[in-house]
Amino acid sequence: MSNRPRADLGGGALMLPAAAVLGLLFLLPLVWFFVVSFYRVSLFQLVPDMSWANYARVWSDYLGPIAFTAGMAAIIAVLTTLLAFVVAHLIWSRGDRWGGFLLGATLLTLFGGYLVKIYAWRTLLGREGIVNATLTGLGITDAPIDALLYSPLAVVLVLISYLLPFAILPIYGSLRPIDPTSLEAARDLGANPWGVLRDAVLPRCVPALLTAFALCFLVSAGDYVTPRMVGGTRTMMMGNFIESQFGLRMNMPLGAAMTFSTLLTSVAVIVAAGLGMRTLLRAR
Amino acid sequence: MTGTGGRTLSLIVGLLVVVFMAAPLLLVVIFSFNASVVMTFPFEGLTLDWYRQLLARDDFWSALRNSAIVTLSVGIGATVIGTMASLVIVRMRPRRSDTAFFLFGLPMMMPPLVLALALLALFSAVGLKLSLMTVVLAHLTFTMPFVILIVTARLRDFDHAVTDSARDLGASPWTSFRTITLPIIRPTLFGAALIAMALSLDDFIITFFMLGGGNTLPTLVWGMLRTGIDPSINALGTLILVCTLGASALALKLTGYRG
Repeated sequence: MSNRPRADLGGGALMLPAAAVLGLLFLLPLVWFFVVSFYRVSLFQLVPDMSWANYARVWSDYLGPIAFTAGMAAIIAVLTTLLAFVVAHLIWSRGDRWGGFLLGATLLTLFGGYLVKIYAWRTLLGREGIVNATLTGLGITDAPIDALLYSPLAVVLVLISYLLPFAILPIYGSLRPIDPTSLEAARDLGANPWGVLRDAVLPRCVPALLTAFALCFLVSAGDYVTPRMVGGTRTMMMGNFIESQFGLRMNMPLGAAMTFSTLLTSVAVIVAAGLGMRTLLRAR
Repeated sequence: MTGTGGRTLSLIVGLLVVVFMAAPLLLVVIFSFNASVVMTFPFEGLTLDWYRQLLARDDFWSALRNSAIVTLSVGIGATVIGTMASLVIVRMRPRRSDTAFFLFGLPMMMPPLVLALALLALFSAVGLKLSLMTVVLAHLTFTMPFVILIVTARLRDFDHAVTDSARDLGASPWTSFRTITLPIIRPTLFGAALIAMALSLDDFIITFFMLGGGNTLPTLVWGMLRTGIDPSINALGTLILVCTLGASALALKLTGYRG
């Protein structure tokens, strides 16, 4: 018999409140939001005419922004996952104080203020910010670089910095059960470090790497605060277009169709990434 | 690549990444005490002026009050509901508990904007007025998965022979939970509650759409960000940081949670 407690204390009824939260405050709103994406709006009222018109409009007028958003999210998710793997691997392979320090720093930056981080980056990358002051001070550039802030590059930098701890933790969690000494044996028998990493370590991290990639992709694709605060007026991502349908324009059905189009694109990219990772890291 | 060379290189990369993650937060704290309005070195002397300016604002105190109400309600609500579900999930067979984990974990993967807009659409359809109450309800959805994850992990390590003996000796399920299980898992519950509170206190996007009127601390930061350079943002940012970092550091100590 496994270490499972016997069934008592109200049986499954204890699950009801959590199931209610999940059902009524997560699944039901999403289903309703999906239904609304087929409605249309007239004089600020929803009109339940089921049609594909909103989707037709999104896929003709917003194809460019969707592609741009997916591209940005892909760059951010790939770079974040790669860097996160380096850090997670370091924490795992170093049992010493460095490993502990890196893990502690990662855990603490996890919760530290989303808006505050964006604000800090905005001042860091600004014309009179520290990055430009250092570059001109060291004589690397003659004048401050304006393009650091209010550019797609700034959005990429800020989101990677924000998402790294969320990517490091699941990857570290998947490395932790692997015993580093068992890999030393392979190395002693003449396997090179890259071979060990590729054949013994990476295949076991595939689910965690995919989780990290998916989380980073979804958060980036759905963000509107970072593009607005550091991206400048020309960096408009789908999050900005979606958000504007609920502010000035008040077109909830179109906003819903944009949301589900973006989600569908994201899921397609994530599934492709998953298939790619599987064939790349397992077929040996 | 040789072993030691590779190790040194990866350590350098790792440290640079950590600097990249943590530097913005450190700078906010440092510059909240800087006398100059502009955030550049060299320092122009220490000051508490930005904190004084912040505490003199009326909207700061009302935002603090609203944040306290939301954070406490979410902490208690998510922990109680999440723990009840965890007690059921540990009793499930592996395949069913995997399914439960997947379902309850879904809100963690959803972009906050999508969750906020879907809830906004539903609440406006059923005519529920936006208030602190709707903020709390919305926060329950994405904080509860973290509680379930942490508490279930703790209950899996738990030696259920202890409660089984109590039950064999005639204790009711409730008595054995209250006198044996609860005292043992109490630190984990506090830890889970603090994580839920840190997440709730830090949320801006969902709060912004659910709030209706007034401010919480993050929406106050948003308002200040839009007015331009205002060093009391550093002071407010430091206060939020101290609260969320303090809560999560304490939580990690209590739960022994590592990834």
